[in-house]
Amino acid sequence: MTNDDRLNRILRAALPSAEGVMPSRDLWPAILRRGEVRRRFTLTDLSIAAVVVIVLLIFPEWFWLLAYQL
Amino acid sequence: MPDGLDGELLERFVHGDQTAFETLFRQFEAEVYRWIVRIVRDRSAADDVLVEAFWRAYRGRARFDASRSFGAWMRRIATNAALDHLRAARPRAGWRTADDTLPAAPHTDQAVNDSIALAFRSLPPRLQIVATLALVDEQPYAEIADALDLPIGTIKSRVFRATRLLRKELARLGITP
Repeated sequence: MTNDDRLNRILRAALPSAEGVMPSRDLWPAILRRGEVRRRFTLTDLSIAAVVVIVLLIFPEWFWLLAYQL
Repeated sequence: MPDGLDGELLERFVHGDQTAFETLFRQFEAEVYRWIVRIVRDRSAADDVLVEAFWRAYRGRARFDASRSFGAWMRRIATNAALDHLRAARPRAGWRTADDTLPAAPHTDQAVNDSIALAFRSLPPRLQIVATLALVDEQPYAEIADALDLPIGTIKSRVFRATRLLRKELARLGITP
């Protein structure tokens, strides 16, 4: 047995095989929830949008400055 | 189709059909999960990585070529998600041992195994991933190269470097393979 074979053997003994393992539960609902979470606007998004709207209501002439930046 | 899948199913997936996505998930879930467990060696982490991988696949569905293998594409995404997990878990990896929910290897000294697992997890993630697939699971280099989207030469070089680092770390722990 070569040194490499010995190393592989002790690694396989220390790190058990993944053969036959299955997820602990049905993960499809978790994937759906993940999609919903990512699609929703965060509080930060909504706060920034609200600030922009309020600023534009107070200083409507800034709209063109904002449009230029976008 | 390379996976024996219905081409229409894949087209529907690419166009965002959730039912088609669920069908593909049910068909590939077990295979992708085992692939992830091979890399992260932790079943509870593998659950999270699986969810992340399929979510990434759905988000990037427009980039999938329906004439190619869905399984190979999914495996590549899962590999990247698992690699991200290893990178994120790295700072606390030194405190972890092998996942005890996986069946234990018979007739082994637990302390030595824990040291070996520790040495293994001290490898940089990009080396750990090739070492686990090549040395522990004996996956063909071509398959690893495909999953990591890297040339076979790079895989061989990383296996060599991982082996060298492992020997050094094991020697430091007083284990001589």
